[in-house]
Amino acid sequence: MIEAIPQLLVNALALGSTYALAALGFVLVINAVGAVNFAHGELVMLGGFVAVGLAATLPETAVLPGLIVLPGVMLALAAVGLVLALIGYAPLRRAPPVSVFISTIAIGLIIQHAVTAGIGPEPRVGPPLIGTGSVELFGAVIARQQLATIAVAGLLLVAVHALLKHTRFGRRLRAAAQDPVMARAIGIPVVLTTAASFAMAGALAGAAGLMLSNQYFVAPTDGAVLMLKAYVATVIGGWGRVWGAALGAFAIAAFETVVAASVSYLVAEVLLYVGVLALLMLRPRGLFGEAEGRRA
Amino acid sequence: MTPRLVLDGVSVARSDTVVVEPLSLSMDAGEVVALLGANGAGKSSLIEAVAGHLPIVAGTLRLDGRDVTAGSLQARARAGIAWCPEGRRLFPGLTVEETLDVAATGNRRVRAEAIERMFALFPALAAHRKTPAWQLSGGQQQMLAIARAVIAAPRVVLLDEPSLGLAPAVLDSVFDAVRRLAEDGAAVLLAEQNVARALAVAGRTLVLARGRVILEGPSERIAVDPTLPGALLGV
Repeated sequence: MIEAIPQLLVNALALGSTYALAALGFVLVINAVGAVNFAHGELVMLGGFVAVGLAATLPETAVLPGLIVLPGVMLALAAVGLVLALIGYAPLRRAPPVSVFISTIAIGLIIQHAVTAGIGPEPRVGPPLIGTGSVELFGAVIARQQLATIAVAGLLLVAVHALLKHTRFGRRLRAAAQDPVMARAIGIPVVLTTAASFAMAGALAGAAGLMLSNQYFVAPTDGAVLMLKAYVATVIGGWGRVWGAALGAFAIAAFETVVAASVSYLVAEVLLYVGVLALLMLRPRGLFGEAEGRRA
Repeated sequence: MTPRLVLDGVSVARSDTVVVEPLSLSMDAGEVVALLGANGAGKSSLIEAVAGHLPIVAGTLRLDGRDVTAGSLQARARAGIAWCPEGRRLFPGLTVEETLDVAATGNRRVRAEAIERMFALFPALAAHRKTPAWQLSGGQQQMLAIARAVIAAPRVVLLDEPSLGLAPAVLDSVFDAVRRLAEDGAAVLLAEQNVARALAVAGRTLVLARGRVILEGPSERIAVDPTLPGALLGV
């Protein structure tokens, strides 16, 4: 098993970075509107299918097919995120959060069934980011797709961090998420920051969907499991903590990869949810504590 | 000269219950007006209604002669009405510098200058530029809350209980800042429990009880009014 460790590590990192993208978008919306977007998994799934569709328009000989379609997938899903905000959230913004749960569950189901009705229930394979094949690294054979996934997802995570931390728009987005009333009171256009959060969530979900669709395929019913992974990552990371959710995603991926490799994928899934229940009992505020404390 | 802020028969409701009876008040630029009264007298409700957070159910609100009664919280903020709420309500995860940057207006250079002006107003904040708001002391949080409200050089400043829970040394810098904001031309409406400090800084004072003005006049006269202690208790 020792010789497989670099391979497992790369697998966990690649899976974790795609889960992290999905979880990041999920938590951005939670912070922006204080409600859970239960259609988030369907956005990831839709990203996979948009990637499949766009890649089909490329010539057979195209190198880097996934990379070429990535911007298009992200743009398309950003638009879907905006539409979701417009019909799933905006009419209910003064209603209790549970209304948004229900409207997004409904939209998720509509997306899932529309995809099934439109192109059938069969899993499809998405384009590889930089083509197929493998390289030898530290004595292990590692798929190029894995390395490219880690690199691209890592870049996107760094870009989101830079946007939130170092641009005025990102700071205003955080301010509006932390206290929308006071954000309005200092003139921040909260409607715009909310729309931007949904668009970013869509774009990141799209990127995650594209990267997952090559190695794990994509089927119309994938949304629920992906949504659950993002939810669990957010719970592990501490509800509402942006980078906690990303770390939670890496933790899930590491756990899945190791248990699946040593026992089986099914056992990994079961143990994951058992572990989450245990975590919720032992550390209800998540593995990484709270985003910010309060002082008396 | 057009008054800076005019409340003409303004009445305020909180979840459909009228909490401020029709009230009229005219404030000039550079003037500080204190609102005194017991808890529940309607001070915060009046402040929040002028800010745009609570609905004005009757009367009109004019800023420099312009009717802003229908404006939202955000629209009034942009028109130049700054609100520093009770309990500060800072953005806990944003640092001092980030908080001031999101509240400032203009390009990067103009905003940086505005931030430096706030550090001149509250030198105690300058040493904590990179500190998240939740880690600041109570006094520093109050200073940051005021700085966040006033960094865009507002025409009207609404301060709700800025002295709450502060040490005497911190009170000095908070009330110095109130004085300087008025000197710079803002009209300052100040709701306070600290009667002595409020009367000292405000030119005029209104005492509210159960949503009505029961005592009103120049602060030096209110300070010696024999009915003041009873009025502050709402009797």
